[in-house]
Formats: sequence, structure tokens, C-alpha cells
Amino acid sequence: MIERRDILTSRERFGLLVIDERPDRCNIMPLVTSHASTVANMSVKDYYTSGMSMARAQLAALEAYRHDAISLFSEVGIIAEAMGSVFEYPDNDLPVLKIPALTKDSLSEIPIPDPCTAKRLPVYLEAIDFIYTAVGDRVPILAYVPAPFTTGMMLSDPNEFLIQTIKAPQSIHDIMEISLQAAITFCYHIINAGGLPVIVDPLASSSVVSPQCYKQFALPYERRLIDYLHRYDLDIILHICGETAPILDLLPATNADLISVDKVDLGLVVNKVSDRIRVVGNYNTSKIAFSSPQVINDDIRAMVAEGMRSPKGYIVATGCEVPIMTPMENIKAFITAAKETAWYWV
Amino acid sequence: MNLIGYTCPYVPVELLSAAGFQPYCLLHGNYELMQKGTEYARIDACPMVRANIAYVLDHTERFAALVGTTGCDMSRRMFDVISEYADVPIFIVNVPRTDNPVMYSDEIDRLIKELSYLSGKDILTNITHEIIKWKTARIVLRGFDEKRAAAVSLVSTSDFHGPARSFYKGDINRVLTSRVAENESQRPHVFMIGSELSYESTNFLDLIEEDVRIVGDDVCGLSRSLHVNIKENTIDGIKRAYYEQPPCIYRRPNHEFHKFISAQLKERTCDGVIGFTLDYCDAYEFEMRTMEKVSGLPLLRIRTDYAAEKISQLRTRIAAFGEMLCSKT
Amino acid sequence: MLEDIAPKKISLLEWSERFEKLTDDDIGRFTYYHNEEWGRYLQPPATFMVYGARQLKRLQFDNSLAALRMWGFVFNESERLFRARQCGKKIIATMGDLGTVPVIVMAFPGCTPFYPECIWWTPFFNESNVLLDTASELGAPEAACFSRAALGAFFKRAYFPVPDRIFASTGATCDDFTSTIQSIEHLGFDVTWFEVPFRRTYPDRIYDDAQFEAKFLKRTEDYLIKEYRRIWDIMAGLTGKENTDILIESIRKTNRLRALAREIMDETHNAETAPFPALELMTIEFGNLYGYADIDEWLSILENVRDTVQLRIERGTGIQPKNAVPIAWINPSADPFLLNFVEDLNLRVVDTEYVIRQALVQIDETAEPFRALARSFLHASLIGSTRQRIASILRAIDQGKIKGVLITNVLGGSHCAMETKLMERMIDSVPVLSLDVPPPPGITEQIKTRIEAFAEALHD
Repeated sequence: MIERRDILTSRERFGLLVIDERPDRCNIMPLVTSHASTVANMSVKDYYTSGMSMARAQLAALEAYRHDAISLFSEVGIIAEAMGSVFEYPDNDLPVLKIPALTKDSLSEIPIPDPCTAKRLPVYLEAIDFIYTAVGDRVPILAYVPAPFTTGMMLSDPNEFLIQTIKAPQSIHDIMEISLQAAITFCYHIINAGGLPVIVDPLASSSVVSPQCYKQFALPYERRLIDYLHRYDLDIILHICGETAPILDLLPATNADLISVDKVDLGLVVNKVSDRIRVVGNYNTSKIAFSSPQVINDDIRAMVAEGMRSPKGYIVATGCEVPIMTPMENIKAFITAAKETAWYWV
Repeated sequence: MNLIGYTCPYVPVELLSAAGFQPYCLLHGNYELMQKGTEYARIDACPMVRANIAYVLDHTERFAALVGTTGCDMSRRMFDVISEYADVPIFIVNVPRTDNPVMYSDEIDRLIKELSYLSGKDILTNITHEIIKWKTARIVLRGFDEKRAAAVSLVSTSDFHGPARSFYKGDINRVLTSRVAENESQRPHVFMIGSELSYESTNFLDLIEEDVRIVGDDVCGLSRSLHVNIKENTIDGIKRAYYEQPPCIYRRPNHEFHKFISAQLKERTCDGVIGFTLDYCDAYEFEMRTMEKVSGLPLLRIRTDYAAEKISQLRTRIAAFGEMLCSKT
Repeated sequence: MLEDIAPKKISLLEWSERFEKLTDDDIGRFTYYHNEEWGRYLQPPATFMVYGARQLKRLQFDNSLAALRMWGFVFNESERLFRARQCGKKIIATMGDLGTVPVIVMAFPGCTPFYPECIWWTPFFNESNVLLDTASELGAPEAACFSRAALGAFFKRAYFPVPDRIFASTGATCDDFTSTIQSIEHLGFDVTWFEVPFRRTYPDRIYDDAQFEAKFLKRTEDYLIKEYRRIWDIMAGLTGKENTDILIESIRKTNRLRALAREIMDETHNAETAPFPALELMTIEFGNLYGYADIDEWLSILENVRDTVQLRIERGTGIQPKNAVPIAWINPSADPFLLNFVEDLNLRVVDTEYVIRQALVQIDETAEPFRALARSFLHASLIGSTRQRIASILRAIDQGKIKGVLITNVLGGSHCAMETKLMERMIDSVPVLSLDVPPPPGITEQIKTRIEAFAEALHD
């Protein structure tokens, strides 16, 4: 099959999707985040510690893949780090949490970080600024922001955090409040730099916590963060990687405009929520890393057919971040297959 | 002061002539005049409009009046400029761009009234004579055109341009007595469309015809005005014939224009099209893509502002186009 | 709702800071089409910047709530048109005539007119050549009016819905745009063309026959009336409504809009110190064309602006120093930044000729409605001579109200090419600066230097 020529730019395409209009074809947004460093032939550490490098890597990936969005992200600890958690920076891997802030400081000592100066938050802002100038008229710039629950867990000893959800729920709510304020402040700066915040809450997935815990501690703060962003009339993607089938019914209550899912049957998502919320997803990230291009090609065609049944609209994506060392031809196979099949306009 | 300048094939020359003036189509365009015209209009004004302004202002004493139309915006506004610098009576005929024969008829009535005031004559008295005179001139030109369009083209457009120039300058006697040398050509047949061709363009046509033979055109300054065919020798006959001539590219919508051109291309068994535009001539610039699509033939776009320095580049492009057409035929 | 602070032009960042102080209820108060689900429009410039309006990062905006409403509403128009279609309204593209056909369209309930050519600002707001490049790919020459962006927009179908009808004027209009519309028709869109006549001046030179002229003027009106009736009939066929009383109502509403805009402009222009910025005023002036696809909400916004302007005048406050030099501006600038820049040089725009004179006049409510519409259109900027077009500016110069004139052109624009030198000649008693607005990313350092020199000369 011959790849059809795009009619719209990625931004035009996304703009139509979020106002309930069918664009020429589906947006194709594999979560090319830190993998961009591979494309740009730079170290992962360089990618997440320098805004200019992050921007260069993302632009190189865009050039190589011609997908429909910039995805600025390295890992979910970025806000927690700015609030005092200590991370190590391996040369060729993502930052690793070493000392959670709340294991050394009390909550009252935890600051709301200034995104312009605190740790690696300015890396994001600098990258957005650079990319916005380069391609901001044509491509949406998605900046992934950890939701309060995920940040809260990165501020704490994870086991202790989970125990406290049962033993001392108010203490968790207190952590959520400050994490929410930090997320809001970060989002505010992202918006003013030209980025569209995407809320990520992987530690709230059903792979980590129960639906009840999600409903009690994660969802209300996701919703408040999203409601804040809705003041700006921005259309918000909520990304929860891992297992989400048990909480699918709850997701529309977050007020997210698009829900990005990972380890869940796409058909189930389409059937259950796609009349109320746009669906993003969800190609298996192990498969994109380790399958052959031909297998990926076949899988994507089937996935697109399923996803395009969504009445509110669908974005072709991976379920989570594209693994850093994924072969480039695999991602190209993903995008080519999607570009050949995911057309709305005849 | 025997000339009456006009700009558009929708101005009935018979009326101007009947008022006792020599209709002189403003089709000037050479580099010097165009440059001089930049005193009056910006550099991005049509080169011919600029040249015409300069020509008229240099020869004001020769013009008893000027008749413009709304056919093209820059051409219409040219009279705005001239009126600021010269005291020449100016009439504008509001030529409708949509199908509106009533408006055109009203406008011609008005023109007649204006010409009558200007000349002090009842121009209706000798209108029949004028109609026949111009009709005869058109017949002569059509004869040359037929030879040009023959299966083996016998007349070059460069040679055709001679009597055509006389026609547009209102020198009917010269048209009637003109002779055009036969000059058989086996070169690829092309049709020429586009902006107005200036009186000074014979060399330009020579250059084109070094490699191809222009066997037909729809260009003001060449055969655009030959399609007027007055059947009744009356004012109504004039109105009808002028209104019903093959539509100009400015007609909205202009599907009929494209149909007419397509028919001409078939009738004249053309191998290609030359799309000639003057700089900033929007009407044609915008339409070239459609023209290429509608005609289904190779189209060479030539854009010029009369500058001589582009000649060698042009020669190369036309030669390549000719070769390409030869290889196709 | 917002802290009452001294009038000032502020940046996008300052607006975001200010926006943070609004409550959710404040934001929810303003909606278009009275729809609370998707009709909110009170957003700061940052929202639209996130969605690609890159120039907003460097533009400055008035700091009033009224201005915030205005910008939110205007930048929301593309979405509004899609929403209009989604909620069953008929979308009618009215092209070229700039001001009159929408009065007919708005008479029909559930019909929303809009001007696709107003998208000529989008490439500048977005600092993007996407639309212009698309137009070029479709055959539009590069030296043509930026309104050719409409060709790209029609092709892309991402900036407004495919209209239910397209009415487009031709005749005594600029060639760039009629060519653009013709190209749109070649794309397969069904266009209903209508003729706009030429407004004469020349015959005065030859003979003096008042009776004949009066008759001819009436004929000119009659051509237009016929065209407007044809449009009316098509709209009646589309909607099943035929009673012309609704047209009279529409004329009244349009007059209210025009009167309100006039009031704002006059009060602003005549105040001791400019109470409202030139960029916002240009936006208001163009709102007269069709009320940005929701005339009722636009009227409410204008009332808000009017009250703001009056309050500022009462207090003697404004956005420029009192010694700002008054100038006239001819032809709207496709690049909005230019209006900011000129104002920052302490030049104050007190008169404009933005090619939409026909949309500024009142429509006679006592005359037969179609004739009233025709008469109002015959004031149009571009259907007559250049001298007619700038007559009021020439008068204002004579009265000492204007100390300089700025003409912004588009390279290759048919009327710009022919009119500018004439205007420079006609305006002989004050300095004139004419410049070509370059394509995005917009004005260059060289152009800035020229404007600075012009401003310096005026201040001297």
C-alpha cells in the first residue's frame, strides 16, 4: 500500500480531534520520549539534564519518524526531585530515586518548587521554548507532568506510602495537596512556554494500587489538576500506564479529554468509555522493542481498526514510552502502518 | 488629438470610431516605458499598466479621451492615476464579471451618451459603416489566423502580430492592405494564453517561435478581439456580439473560459500550451495550474517584466520545451 | 472580577498572571451560543499560544477584562464555527464584499456567516507559512494578497467547516481575492458569485446631466438589489424562511453593532489620551463585518469595551502618553505586531481606512431593506477612486487632526500596487510612510528602522 500524503499538519489534526471533528487521519503519537536520545545519538543523561539536548533529540526524532507530537519526558520523578527527593543520574539510563524527600524532611519543609530554577524542571521549559520556536506552528508539544499521586509516591518511601494510604489517609491527602500545587505551578510554566501538559500517573495504575485506592487518593487530584488546566480551555491527555481495566469506568470522572491507556484490551476501552472520552493507545512497548517490523505492521493495522471505532476519536500510540534502545525501523514500521491505515477522510 | 485610448476587448471599437476617433488600444510594454511608469505606480503594478501610464502621459496631446473598463483591477485603477496627472476625459465601462447582460447593455448606452457629448456627433448615424469596416478587418485577420492554425502551419504568430498591431492601433486601412508571408513550419504546435501582449513584443514572439509554432492564442494584443462577430448592424447587435464573445478569464465563474480554451486546443491540434504572464498578473498566475489540468497538455509558464536580461534563460527554457514536445509527438 | 488597575498594554505572561486571579465562576460567566459545555471563551493569550498562535508570545494586549473577553472570543472563532455546525447551524461563507451579505445571512435564524479571507491574519498570529505554502501548492502566486491563505484553509478543512453556501463578490474588486475565490471554486466548492458595481467619479468631467446621473445611480443600486435578492432567495430556500421582516430586524441589529463600534472608535480617537490600543481597535473595526460568528455575544463584548473606554476617559487614563503623535493608517496590516510596534513609538492611530468603509456606515432603516443595503454598500472602499477612498483622511489632515500617514501594503496586491503612489501624492502636507508587510515571520529589522525614522520625524 502506498502511504497517502498528509493534508493537515499535526497541529491542525490534533486541533480538529479535540473539538470533536474528524481530521484527515488519526494522530499518530508513539510515546517517543527518552528514546529520542538514541535517534540523536546522545547519552540519555545528556537528554534529561539539558534542555537544549532534549530539544535537539526530540527534533531529530520528529525528523526521522514524522509522527504527530513532540513528547517531552524523561521520568516521573521530576517534580519530586525539585521538591527534595534525591536522584542519581546514570550515564546511560534514566534517573534513579535514591533518597525520597520525606525520608529526610517533614512535609512542612517540602517547598513548592520554582520551575524556572528547581533541579531539572527548567530543562523541560528550555526544551519547550526551543522546540516551540522551531516547529510550534506545526506540531503539538506535549510535556508530560507527573500527577500528584505519582509525585507523592516519589517523595516517599513507596512501601511506606502505600501502607499510609490505609493507616493514615489524611497524611497522604496532605502529600497530595502539596504535590498538586507543585504540579499546577509546573503546568502554569509549561503553558506559558508553549507546551501542552499531559498528566501521567503510572503509579496510580491497577498494577500498583487497588481501584479503591485510586478512587480515593489519585483520581480526586488528577481531576483537580485537570480542572485547573481546563480553566485555560486546554484539552488534557491523562496517561496511566500499566493495568487500567479495573478503573476504566472511573476514568471519565477525571474530566480528562483524552485517556491514554497501556495494558488493557483496546476493544474493552473503546466499548466502555470511548463515547465519552477520546482514546489514546496502546501498542505493547515490549513488542515495539523486540518484534520484527512485519509483525508490528500487522499488529498496528489491527489495532488501528479497533481504535478507530471510538466515536469521540482515537490517537494511535504506544501503551507507554517507546523503550530507549528500540530499533528505529520498528518505530518506522509502526508509523508507516498507521499512516497507511488510519484515515478518516476518503 | 484624434486617438481614443481603450484597454479591453469589451469596449466596442465601432462606437469609438463612429464618434470620429481612432480607437487605440493601450498595449504598450517595453522596458523603458515600464520603468518610467514606476514614477506613477509601484514596482509591483502590472508592467503593461505602468508602461501605458507612461505612454499616455508622454502623448497626452494625441488622446481625445480614454475608455477603460473594470475588467482588471490594475487596469481600472490606471485611469485613476492618469486622471491625477493629465486632463484627458476618461470613461469607465463597468464590464460585469458575472453573467449580467443588462448591466453591460446599460453601460454601453452610457458610453454612447458620453461619446456623443465628447464628439458632438450623433454616433448612431454612421454606425453601420463602422460595423462593416471593423468586421472586414476582422475577416482579414481571421484569414491569417486560419493559415496559422492549419495542419501544417503556414503563418507564424510573429508575422500575425504585424496586422494585429495595426488592428489594435485602429489603423484599419493598414490591416486591409496587409500581407503576411507564408512560412511553413513543422515545429510542435502550441497555443498561447495569458496576459496582454504589447506592441513591442514581436521579438519575444520570434524567440518563442524559434522552437515551437504558436498556432492559436487567446491573448489581448493578438487574436482575442477577433471573436467578436456582429450579426445585426445595430447598437443591439454590437452589444450582443461583444457581450457574447468567448468569456474573458475574469468572468466568474470562468469555466466557460476554460471550455473555450480546451476546444481551441483540440481544434488547432496543439501539442502544448504557453502560459504567458506579466509580473503580478494575478488572474493568469492563479489560473495556470487549472489550465494545465484542464488542457491535459504540457504547459510552459513564461513570466516576464520585459527585462532583457532574462532572454537567454528564456531561450533555453523554450528550447527545452520544444524538445520535450518533439519527443512526445 | 479583575483588579481595577491602570490601563496598560501587557504581555502574554502578565496576562497569565492576571488570569490566575479569576475564579472558575468568572471564567464560566462568558459563553458563545449560550453553551456551557464547550462555549466558554474567557481564556488568556497563553491558551491560544499553546495551540500554535506563536506571535502572541511577543504581542502586547490591553489589560482590561473587556480586552480579555475580546481576544478570547476572537481567537475562539475557528472552534466556534465547528461547534456551530455541530449544533445544527448553517455555516455561510460570505466572501469579498466585506460587510453587507452577512446582514442578509444573519436575518435567517440558525445561520452563521463568516469571512474566510479574514484568515489572512492566521499566518501572522501563528508565525507560520503553512497556509500560504498550501495556497502556493494550489497555484496561488507568492506576490498576491495574504488573503490567499483562504485557499489553503479551504483545502485543509481544518480552520472552518465546509460551508453550506459560499457567496462571493466579484466585479469592481481587487483581483487577488477574486482569483483566490476562483481557485477555491476550482477545488470543487460551489460558489455563488454576485456582482459589485463600480462607483464612478469621472463623468463629472464631461457633461453635467444630473437627471441622467441620478437615474444611473439608481440603476447601480438596482443591480445590487437584484444580487441581494438572489442571495435572499437562496437563503430562503436553504432555511424555508421568507418573510423580509427578519431582514429589517437584522439590519437593526447590524446598525446597533456598527453604532457601538463607531462610538468606541470615535471616543478613543478623540480622547485626550488613547484609552484603548490600536490592535484591539482594528479587531473591533473588523468585528463589524459579521460579529465574529456570534453577533449577540460580540455586542455584549463591545458594550464591555465601550464601558471600559468611557471609564478610562472619565479618569483621564490611557495606554499611551498624552503627547503621542496622531496618525492615520491606510490598509489593515496583516501583521498584528506592527500595530503594537507603531504604538510603542508613541504614534497614536486616530483614523483608519481599512478597506471596509462599507461596514462602518449605518444602514437606512426607513428605506426598503434591499435598497438600504445596496446604498450602504455603495460606500465601499475599493469600488471607487483612490481620492474618494481617502477623502476623509485628507479632510482630517486639513483640520490638523492627523500629523502623519502610514500605509501598509501587500506586495502584488492589485489595489496596493496602484493606489499607494497616488496616495503619497495626494497627501502632500504631512509625512507619509508606505511599507510592504513581509510574509511571516513578519516585519524585519529594516522595516522597524524605517518606522522608527518616520516616528522620529513626526516627533521632531
